[in-house]
Amino acid sequence: MASAVAPAPGFRIARGPPSPLGLLLVAAAALAAPVYTASLTVARDDISGMHVALLHWISAPYVVVGLIAWWRRPESRLGLLMVAAGFAIGISTLQLAESDLFVTAGAAFDLVPAALFLHLFLAFPDGRLETRIERVTVGTAYAVAIGPQLAKMSLGALGPDTQLVLWLRPGAAEVVEQVQLVSLSAALLVGAGMLAIRRRREGTPRRRPLALLVDLFTLALLLSAALFLVGAFGPLEPAFGPLQRVTLAVIGLCPFVFLIGLLDARLARSAVGPLIIDLRADLAPADLRTAVAQALRDPSVTLAYWLPDFQRYVDLDGRPVDVSDHDHRATTAIDRDGVPVAVLLHDRSLEDERDLLAAVSAAAGIALENARLHAELKARVEELRGSRRRVIEAGRRERQRLERNLHDGAQQRLIALSLRLSLLENGLRGDPAARESVGQARREIALSLEELRDVAHGIHPAVLSGHGLEVALESVVARAPFPVRVQVDLAGRLHESLEVAAYYVVSESLSNTAKHAQATSATVVVGLRHDQVVVEVVDDGVGGADTEGGTGLRGLADRVEAVGGRLRVWTPSGGGTRVRAEMPCA
Amino acid sequence: MRVAIAEDAVLLREGLSRVLVDAGFDVIGQCGDAEDLLLKVRSYPLDVVIVDIRLPPTHSDEGLRAALQIRAAHPHVGVLVLSQYVEIGLAMKLLADSAEGVGYLLKDRISDIDDFLSAVRRVAEGGSALDPIIVSTLLSRHRADDPLDRLTPREREVLVLMAEGGSNQGIANSLVITLRAVEKYVSSIFGKLGIPSTGSESRRVLAVLAFLRS
Repeated sequence: MASAVAPAPGFRIARGPPSPLGLLLVAAAALAAPVYTASLTVARDDISGMHVALLHWISAPYVVVGLIAWWRRPESRLGLLMVAAGFAIGISTLQLAESDLFVTAGAAFDLVPAALFLHLFLAFPDGRLETRIERVTVGTAYAVAIGPQLAKMSLGALGPDTQLVLWLRPGAAEVVEQVQLVSLSAALLVGAGMLAIRRRREGTPRRRPLALLVDLFTLALLLSAALFLVGAFGPLEPAFGPLQRVTLAVIGLCPFVFLIGLLDARLARSAVGPLIIDLRADLAPADLRTAVAQALRDPSVTLAYWLPDFQRYVDLDGRPVDVSDHDHRATTAIDRDGVPVAVLLHDRSLEDERDLLAAVSAAAGIALENARLHAELKARVEELRGSRRRVIEAGRRERQRLERNLHDGAQQRLIALSLRLSLLENGLRGDPAARESVGQARREIALSLEELRDVAHGIHPAVLSGHGLEVALESVVARAPFPVRVQVDLAGRLHESLEVAAYYVVSESLSNTAKHAQATSATVVVGLRHDQVVVEVVDDGVGGADTEGGTGLRGLADRVEAVGGRLRVWTPSGGGTRVRAEMPCA
Repeated sequence: MRVAIAEDAVLLREGLSRVLVDAGFDVIGQCGDAEDLLLKVRSYPLDVVIVDIRLPPTHSDEGLRAALQIRAAHPHVGVLVLSQYVEIGLAMKLLADSAEGVGYLLKDRISDIDDFLSAVRRVAEGGSALDPIIVSTLLSRHRADDPLDRLTPREREVLVLMAEGGSNQGIANSLVITLRAVEKYVSSIFGKLGIPSTGSESRRVLAVLAFLRS
């Protein structure tokens, strides 16, 4: 039973956090370029302060938030990617410097940030590109951002002053640039499309800041693509400037939302407190999931409990649950003294918050154990119900087999024997004494046959198997000592266990009525309502039937419940008796 | 008279066949299942078939289906159904359209050889034969203000024989009374029960059954 084995929770061996000194050095290196260009802006009038401020609005937050993410989750490459993006923006601002070398370096990096953003957005939240198409798209973006950039610089696209100019051909450079920008915006659009698809597919409500962040990523990619298309075909359009500013502003918002997400997770940990208070107040098993979901800030959380006797996970109602890993859900196993108790199924984005999961799991311990016992009880009830159904079904089959054996064996032989005696009797016309004794034997056999027939019919009404409920009920109704109106509306044969149960509901109810009710008439209605067989027997007798004592009604209720149904009896004193059985058809 | 038998218990089939041959019947076919019986009915001109209601392969409703099929496709062939249980629901299915040339008897009745043979002849000639259990079950039901209570004991006996499919002559023979006396009882019974008088003897079976089931 491979599926029943507890999956190992997805703990990754964490690398230790980077040293503070290392972080400082990276921060200093990454911020050196922006600081330098910022100083240029102050010194010179020909550079737009607004533009530079926007670039810095991006680069500094990416570097800082990236460092925080790197420090908190060293195992995720996301932090490093953010630092790299900030770094690349910083270097691209060097185009504004006066030194040729700086300008060349900055120009070479001009479009690299776009590819880095695409990489970063698609790699969110765990820093890995999951699918081949994601890897191809990001790879293409890098190639387009760097290759044609160097080519057009060597054709002198950025002016004769830059280094790298090999062959001054501004016309060709312009064509290269158009191809480059169109290709890059195509890659960005594909990326935006993949984000939108991912968001749709993960229909489960993710945690809110994360959802907002993914939307923001998509918007940033769309704006960047639009910006590059305008840049390729009409760089002098009046719309270019505002569009560039809006794009930069949106890209710059992303690290702040990301930071809110980080803080949200940190705040979530403080929600463990209320969970403990909830648990103290005798949390009902059914409310445990809600409390845990609130504490984890993931409304999609579900719990599955481990039942060692059944070797499987079940929900609170004892129904089996599949906890095998699948695409968009993660699992966290909860143990108690090394024994599995339950599994949390939650959003993948929680995987990075192991300490929060651990805190919630620990706080929910006792309540989880209670809920597990509750689930176990439900599973046992379900198991018993199943075994009762199987026992009654096996009994029914056995009765059917017995009746068949009697019919094909003893009854058939007795009839044949009786026929032989009859022929013998006819041949003894000359010997009245012998003839009389053979006749006597034949009458004995006739009596035996009659008794045997009653026994066999009592074991199993064969007419039911052969001809169905409606035909079988005719004789039952005819034997009642009062007129019975019968209405059977069935679209064909039912499962035999249902037919047998319905048959006995009618025959037992009518025989109860005959014995106790002093009724003058009765009505039998059999029909289908909403995938249920409904059998109703109503009499006009004295009512007040004994529903507890005796075995009649109790035995009927057992039969009906064994096929998953329900038997109800209304029997007001002086108001007749109504017996109603409802049994599911499935 | 030409007859075919469908019965899967060999012992019984042989015994039945011997009884019929001894009585001068021409036993055209002894069949083990319904398929074979239907083939015989299509192939030979028969007067009557005797069918066990439980036949292979499933022993559920093959016999009854064959009987209904023969009644629909070959109305001139009498059909006598034998069963180890007698069910009113099945009787009603067999008699749904008419009681002409149809019988439904408990298997045990075979050993009352004379009665059985006369039932076979009756069915072969287009009359009917209903098992006494069916009639007595229907008669045992009590109604408030029951018109049956107004019948004399003799009239009750005649009613039972009528319901079982007896002809007037047959009833006269069983009760050892004259044919005219039977006719008098019949019209008196119909009067008391309010059943409109019908000409044919097999049609009055249906009328009496309808009255008893109502």
